[in-house]
Formats: sequence, C-alpha cells, structure tokens
Amino acid sequence: MSDIRLNAIFKTFGTTEVLRGIDLDIRAGEFLTLVGPSGCGKSTLLRIIAGLETQTSGDVEIAGTPVNHVRASDRDLAMVFQSYALYPHLTVRQNMATPLVLRDLTFWERAPIVGHALPGRRPKVKSLHAAVDDVAQVLKIEHLMDRKPGQLSGGQRQRVALGRAMVRKPVAFLMDEPLSNLDAALRVHMRSELAELHRSLGVTFIYVTHDQAEALTMSNRMAVMMDGDILQLGAPDEVYDDPKDRRVAEFVGSPKINMLPGRADGHGRVAALGAPLHRHVGLQDQDVTVGIRPEHLQLTTTQADNEGWPFRVTHKENMGADFFLHGTVNGSNHRMVARARPEDVAEVAIGHDVFLRAQSGKAMVFGGDDRRVYFAEGA
Amino acid sequence: MNNQVHPVREAIKHAVLILGALIVILPFYVMVSYSLKSPHEIESNTGGFFGAQEPMVDEYCVKLGNPRDACVETPVVYNYTQAFKKAPLLRYLLNGILVTASIFIIQVLVALPCAYALSKLKFWGRDFVFGLVMFCLLIPVHAIALPIYIMLAKIGLTNTYASLVIPWTISVFGIFLMRQFFMTVPDDLIDAARMDGMSEFSIIWKVMLPTAVPALLAFAIFSVVAHWNDYFWPRVAITGNRDLYTPPLGLREFKGDADGSIWGPMMATATIIVTPLIAAFLLAQRRFIEGITLSGMK
Amino acid sequence: MAQGSHRAAYGFIAPAVFLMIAILIAPVVIAAALSFTDYSLGNAGFDWVGLENYDRMVSRSTYTKMLSATALYVLTVVPISIALGLGAALLINSVKRFGDIYKTIYFLPVMAALLAMALVWEFALHPTLGMINNTLASGCGTWIEAFFGWHWLPWADDAPSWFENGCASGFPLWFGDKDYSLWTVAFIGIWQAFGFNMVLYLAGLTSVPRELYQAAAMDGATTAWDRFRLVTWPMLGPTTVFVVTITTIRSFQVFDTIEAITQGGPAKSTFVMMFAIYEKAIQHNLMGMGSAITVVFLGFVLILTFVQRHLVERRVHYS
Repeated sequence: MSDIRLNAIFKTFGTTEVLRGIDLDIRAGEFLTLVGPSGCGKSTLLRIIAGLETQTSGDVEIAGTPVNHVRASDRDLAMVFQSYALYPHLTVRQNMATPLVLRDLTFWERAPIVGHALPGRRPKVKSLHAAVDDVAQVLKIEHLMDRKPGQLSGGQRQRVALGRAMVRKPVAFLMDEPLSNLDAALRVHMRSELAELHRSLGVTFIYVTHDQAEALTMSNRMAVMMDGDILQLGAPDEVYDDPKDRRVAEFVGSPKINMLPGRADGHGRVAALGAPLHRHVGLQDQDVTVGIRPEHLQLTTTQADNEGWPFRVTHKENMGADFFLHGTVNGSNHRMVARARPEDVAEVAIGHDVFLRAQSGKAMVFGGDDRRVYFAEGA
Repeated sequence: MNNQVHPVREAIKHAVLILGALIVILPFYVMVSYSLKSPHEIESNTGGFFGAQEPMVDEYCVKLGNPRDACVETPVVYNYTQAFKKAPLLRYLLNGILVTASIFIIQVLVALPCAYALSKLKFWGRDFVFGLVMFCLLIPVHAIALPIYIMLAKIGLTNTYASLVIPWTISVFGIFLMRQFFMTVPDDLIDAARMDGMSEFSIIWKVMLPTAVPALLAFAIFSVVAHWNDYFWPRVAITGNRDLYTPPLGLREFKGDADGSIWGPMMATATIIVTPLIAAFLLAQRRFIEGITLSGMK
Repeated sequence: MAQGSHRAAYGFIAPAVFLMIAILIAPVVIAAALSFTDYSLGNAGFDWVGLENYDRMVSRSTYTKMLSATALYVLTVVPISIALGLGAALLINSVKRFGDIYKTIYFLPVMAALLAMALVWEFALHPTLGMINNTLASGCGTWIEAFFGWHWLPWADDAPSWFENGCASGFPLWFGDKDYSLWTVAFIGIWQAFGFNMVLYLAGLTSVPRELYQAAAMDGATTAWDRFRLVTWPMLGPTTVFVVTITTIRSFQVFDTIEAITQGGPAKSTFVMMFAIYEKAIQHNLMGMGSAITVVFLGFVLILTFVQRHLVERRVHYS
C-alpha cells in the first residue's frame, strides 16, 4: 500500500502549457478519477504518472520515493489503454502473461530456442501461468484464453486488458478512458463491475475520463481538470453539491446546470433575470452568474412575492421516472431546464406559461472570476 | 519511454545511414562524373568529379576532313554531343515516349470500363470475370514473354511498334486497382448521373474518371516507370531494326564497341535516359513512392 | 434501366476479357503445350517429345546450373535486400532528423533504369580501369593494407588476408571470375531492390499503433530488442509476407544485369532462368526447351503466390 504524490507538475509541449503546476495526493487504495473535457491535460498527467512521458518540471513520488528517473516498467504500475493495446498476434493467455514473462524471465530464458533448454525456465513459466489462470478466473474469461484479440468482442477485450494489468499485482492501476470504446449499455454495466473490482482488489485506481457520469458513479474522489489545472478535488457528492468554480458546476451534472445572468446590488442582494433570490452575498454592485440545478427548480402556476421566473414550456422530455421541462425565461432567449415528477406536469403542455422558482438555498452564485461566492449566514 | 535523443546512439545511426547512402549514390556519381570527363581522364582515373575540362581534339571529326581547330571541344560537350551523334538517341527517346504513352493510354481505355462494370453494374458472369482477373494477377507478363513472342511472330508483328505495346495493353493490376477504388465511390453518385440522363458510357468518362484521378495518377507513375525502364521485352520483340529501339536498347548498343573513347558518350547517354524519371521523382516524391509501391495495396 | 446496364456491361468488359484470354491465358496454354515439343520458329511442323525437355532440365549440366544459379541468386537477394530494407526503415524511423533525405537517396535505384545502372556498375567494377579496384589498389602498401591484413588481431594466423592477396596478385575480376560473378550480380540486385522494401516497411511502421509501444513499455519491454520482438516485428508480419513474395518474384525475373554484363557466364555461373529463356528460345530458336523453362518458372511463381495468400489469410491476419 503506497501513496502516489504529485508535486508541482508542469508540462509544456513547445510553447503550449499542458499542465500548470499540478499538486495531488493520491491515497493508497482509493479510486481517483481525473475528469475534464478533452485537451484539459488529464491523459498527459496519467502518462506522466505512468512514466510514459516526462514532466517538464515537478516530482512524482510513489510510496515516498521520487520516481522521476524510474522507467515505466519499474514503477510497479499497470495501465489499461483506451484502445486496450492488446498484442494482436498473441493469444489471450500470452497477452496476459507478457508482463510476467518480461519481469520474471531473464533475457536468455526469453530467447526463442535457447530459452526452452534452460533449466530455470520451466518452474518460472509454470508459476506465471498459474498467476494468469487465477486472474482469468476472477474476470471469468477462462474460456477465451486460447483466442486472439481479433476474435473477441469489445467487452471481452476490455476484460483481457484488465487481466493483463492485474497479473502483475501492481501498486496502482492507471486507466485511460477504458470504457469509451464500448457501446452505451455495456459501458454502464462495466462501471459497476470496475467499482466492484476496485473494492475487491483494494488497490489504487487512477482513472481518466471525459465522462462526468463515470466520475460520479465510480470514484471515491474526483479531480475536475480544465486547461491544465485541477479546479476542484473532492468526493463526487461534494463536487456536485458544492462546486467551487462555475466551470466545475457546468461540467458536472446532466442535464447541465442552468446559468442565469444576475446582479448583486449595493446591499449584496442578488437578483437573476429580474427575480430576487432573497439572499445576500459579500459583493456589491457587480454582475454575477446564478446557477440552479434542474432538480432544484419548483414549478408553480402562480407567482408569489415577485419570486421565480415566468417560464414558457417549449419541450417536455419524458425520462420515465422524471420529466425534463425545457423552455424560455421571462420572454427572453434564456433557456432553462427543470426536473419535475410526472404527476406535477401532467397538466402542463408545450406552449403553456408557468413559473419556476429556486428551492430555498439551493441557488449558487459565481463571481466575475468564475469563483463561487457564498451567501452570507442568516440572511 | 524516453523521449530524449541519445547523442552517441543518434550519431552511430547517422553514420550507418550515411555509409549506406554513399554506396547507393556511388554508381550515380560514377555515371555523371564519367559523362563529364575526357577519355584520357577516364582511363587514368584522374580529374576528380568534373574532370579538368581541357579542350580535346575529336579524332573522328578530323578524319572526316575537317580542320583540326574546328574539332576542338571540351570533354563534356564532346560526350553529350557524341551521345546524340553516335546513335540516334533522340529517336530512341521519342520511341520511348511514344511506347510508354501508348501503353498507359490503352491500359486505361481497357481497364476503366471493365473496372466500372465489375464494381458498379450487375450482370450475369460478373463473379466469373472477377475470378479471371484475380487469376491473371498471378501471371507476370515477363514470364510468358516467350509464347507471346511466338504468337506475335506467327502473325508477323515482331519488329513493329505494335509488338512493343501489345503485351502490355491489358493491365489486370490496373483493373483490380480501379475496381477497388470504384467500390468506394457511392452508388448515389452514379444514380444521380443516370437521373440526369447520362449513358453508362459517359458515366465512366465524365463521372468515374474525374473521381479516380488520384488513383489514376499513381497508376500512371507505376506504368510509366515500369515501361520506360523495361529492357527485357524490347530486347525480345525488337531484333535488328534500330529505328524501333527504346532508350535502354539504344544504350545497350554502345557496349558492342567498348573502347575507351566511347565511355564518355555512353555514360552521357545513360545519364540522359535516367535523368527524366529521377528528376520527376525528386519533384514529386510522395506521389512516386505511392505509385511505385502501388502493388503493395493488394 | 437494369436491362440497359446489362448490355452495357458486356460491352465494357469485352475488350479486357478478350485481351486477358489472348495475352495472358493463351500463352500459358501454348507454353505448356510447346514444352512437350521440339518446335522451332520457321519450321513447318514439330514433333512431340514427351517429357524430354523437362528431363534435360534435371540431367543436362547447363540446365542444372541454370536452376542452381537462379536459386542462389534468389536466396541471396531476397533475405539480404529484405533485411537491409527493414534495417534502413527502422533506422530512418528512429532518427530525429534527415530521415526524409535518406529515404529519397535509398529510393533512387528503384527509379533508375536497371540496364543503365548495370552498365555503370560494370564500369565501376572494371578490373583494371574501374574505380573500385583502383581505390582498393591505392590502399596497397599503406596502413589500409596493414589494417585489412588483420594480423594485428590476437587470433590471426599468418595466412595472407583477402586484401593482401588482392595487392599481391590483383583484385578480383568481379564479373569475369566465376567465383565472384553471381555474388556481384546479386549485389547489384540487392542495391536496386532494398529501397523498395524499405519504403514498404516504412509504410508498415506508420500503421503500428503508438499505444502498443506504450503498453509494451508498461509491461517491461525496456530494450529496443524487446520492443522489436514484442511489437514491431509481429505488427510488420503482413508487410513482410508481401515484401518476401514480391521481392522473390522480382528476383526470379532478373535479366537486365545478366544480359548486359555477364551473358550468363563465366562458366554458366550466372545463367539464370530469364536469360536462359532468352538465349535458348529467342537466340537459338529452341522454342520447346524455352517453353519448358517458362512452365517451370510459372510453377515457381504460382506456388509462391499461393503460399503468400494462404499466409495472409491464416497466420498474419489479426483482426
């Protein structure tokens, strides 16, 4: 069990800064997700941890030892690639055995003909095949062991790639968008399998994805990255409920959070698109942005106390358990999405005018610099 | 993975590559250098790359009764003028252009309609014809040169331009290549052309041909390089009649009387024959490499 | 409209089908038939001689020498030109700069008329005037001779080295010496062919996914050899099968260098099949014998291509 620590990692390609000083402590045994839009630097960061790329500056430490100059294969990490990167000419068994063969057999023992004659080879091969079989059993791929990757489905290849990573019993698994090549149904299924696998192995998982749903569903902690920085690091519910940055709030959650232009007046009272929030912030006379998640909007047919926004329904999206109402606010072009239970919207049809109001205390205010601004207590 | 360049290892790699490049370049160097030198410099292996370019007397010119002063030339001028005087090199070059161009044009005229029919039209026996194409791909034309020669001799066509062109009129590889290319052209495009009232014949030349230009260009390079440089078939088909010689046959004639004085003009002829393709290659490398390695697309 | 396409299609394929049958299929049949005769051009008729022509090929020394010279040539040129092509591709792929320049230079021989370059090589390797032997001879009596004498090596014996022999009694005649001629011709074949193979391998290398190398690095393939064994070589399998086939078929067809330089000699040491067909049939008018050689030649080519197709479908087809 060992922690992985990143200190001030910078990476530049030519003149472009891909990573701008990443500090990150990855606790032993946790499932940490690096999530962000494409180009945010998450894959580069993972490759730097793996040792496949060298950082421009900064340190990577594993279990307290700097590994900046340690080769990828000697860092005791295993990686699952987006394309799985299975060796197409080798069978599943040989694919899974490869890391062990390269680690445990000497150069001469690996040589084509000479190697087979060496006495030390047989017991080693036997024990590594036993290790491969154990992993195959865990992943339920014993019946595929003699096939080649070309003969497997996407999901099966995914398992083999996991198997190849598992046989080494590494201190951490690095996964680079491992589910993105699977179809939607299998992807959802594999999420829970990966989470279960993590629990049963108890080893660190560092998982890179652009899909916020994967980050929310699987990880212990998630790091939301944008433009080479980590904007927020925390447990999924923390990040979802309490985003510290407007970009995090917009990135996490589906459907997306509603963002309305607002203003804080001379007393710090905030109003968005004409509707007051009845809360104060520590800003005066400034433009702000008000975010409200779709599930935090309430539907009313009448307007009370000038609260809430007149809302014209343009589309009703039936999700089965819930409805999403899409529409425009206050006669403006601002679109909002609200989640509602089916019984609440049975009477609402497209083209109807209703009112939306934010649940008390659920709105979030972001300043001009995108940082979160908290409401003053007791107001 | 290490992204840094290891300077020593890099230097060794370059040393090996440079050594290889020198060996590859050597005959080109010899060819061009000898084409610039006087016979004396060639025999004594002196004069460096360009030769001293001291004016020399053309003895043959003197023998023809010209005054000695009028027969003085620098070696480079001597070699290159002799290349055209000793043998009708210009005629050979024109023959070469005529033959390679005819071959390519006929190959396209035969292959394009066939490829179109095989890829886009349904007709009884299509699979059989495609099977025939695939089988014929196995037969190298050089290997069956002898029976083709016998057939041409029987109908009295040896020693004609036709005999230089006929064996190459059918390029099964061209058919195969064009068919593969046409398979990628959407059927909708052809149906749209039909809706516009085009005949199948004009679809081939007005719709398919323009879309196939890149593939056709690569095939043109493949075909022209092969037939400009071909020596075996012209050697077999043309016996004696110098008027029909292609450039390689013409060059080969120099070897008959190989005394030292002829080497300069001979190397000049070789340089003239090799230069067009090399120059074209240097100008359009990517296309040439694509064209020459076309057969790798199978 | 469907009716129209039908009729048009037959018009479109007719010229190609006619030419395929007349120029490719018919000659194969004719060659097969004539190989059992003693046919000559100009003679009114011919006699069936059964397997006599084939029998000669395995009994007469001229033809056994032909088969062995062809086999030696092919077995020399194919492996060496492929190894050099692969080596050049790997080196060019791994250097940081100037890779394109090497690629261009190595490809030049593929573009140049082989006949012209054969004549140039003949001059360069001329025993007395050629620059190769002159250059070698200029090393005699200098430190170069001492170096290539190898006597400074601790395990060297007193026997004169190749270079010392050359200085003492003249460097090889190359094309004029039956111990050297085939290897010298093969050298030109390799010189001409390896750039082609290199280009095919370079194309093959670009299609190897980068993630596979990264996976290999994670799995512990730390040396260049490990990476080559685990990723590069297997991934180049399809390219290699193709390169082997095309290089073999091409080197079977070697003719230009032989006809221009050695005429099959000395002592039939370079009497390869294409030249044998040319000499026996075209020059000596022995059409029956020439046809028999043609048939054997076609047999080799067909077998090779079938083996290639089989390999491509079975072994190296991964996806």
